[in-house]
Amino acid sequence: MIDRANLGRTYGPYRYVVGLEEIRDFANVVAGGLPGRVFAPPPPEPPHPWHVDEEAGRASRHRSIIAPPTFCVRFAMEPFAKACSDPALGIDLVRLLHGEQSFELGEVVRPGDVLETTGEITDIGQRGKMDLLTIRSTTTHASGRMVVVGLWKAVVLG
Amino acid sequence: MKALSEFHVGDTFELTRTCGRYLPIYYAAASGDFNPIHIDPEVGRAAGQPGAILQGMCTMAWLTDACSRYFGDPGRIVKLEVRFARPVQVGETVRFEGRCVALQGDRVRVEVKATNEKGEEVLKNAAAEAVVEGGQP
Repeated sequence: MIDRANLGRTYGPYRYVVGLEEIRDFANVVAGGLPGRVFAPPPPEPPHPWHVDEEAGRASRHRSIIAPPTFCVRFAMEPFAKACSDPALGIDLVRLLHGEQSFELGEVVRPGDVLETTGEITDIGQRGKMDLLTIRSTTTHASGRMVVVGLWKAVVLG
Repeated sequence: MKALSEFHVGDTFELTRTCGRYLPIYYAAASGDFNPIHIDPEVGRAAGQPGAILQGMCTMAWLTDACSRYFGDPGRIVKLEVRFARPVQVGETVRFEGRCVALQGDRVRVEVKATNEKGEEVLKNAAAEAVVEGGQP
């Protein structure tokens, strides 16, 4: 059982600088391809061109390659991952399942963006023998604009 | 780019994706989520699964790709939500069937059903919302 005294515990801030090739790798993998340039044939179906093609991205209203919305896992998941492996919570990772996920998305993510993410445990509960844990992550752009607010809900099997 | 007038309640879209043998490892590299349950079949079995399971966030990324294609511009997506109902196993194929359920001002909402080959739902309450720029709020 997760001690409710951990409610309100915070994680971060974590700084993250977005890389162009990371965005490409992510989009290619989700489209069925491989990360990297080596031994990596193109995916069976091309990803959205604005995630991989610099020229197409520049011609778009975003004026740049943009990251797929759930690329945010690379930076916004950090408080959730830190909480799940925090000795204070004592969670056995083998019993951990990702239960629910939501994102509110603001500013699009572009290569070179400098982002900062913080997180907070906003709920600790129980359903039968299972522990439920919710972390709210907030990521902002160096300009101050909101990039993404995530609600990460974990289920820990009893 | 697809204009607001081109979206209609009742529009449908779909996408099919298969979890290849190495996808959980490739997705781990792309996302940073190297939790051993996604990498090591033995750890997956210790957790009561038939082997390594796909990261739920990868299923959510597939869902997002399906929605991005419908919305036209991935940058229009302002909201995504899912409940992970059942882990996706290596070798499984997931079919996403989306439907536009609401148009409110410049906001478009879709709901998506995601099922494996056995017809079992891998996601529940999957939905996305987009704001179409230049639309009349």
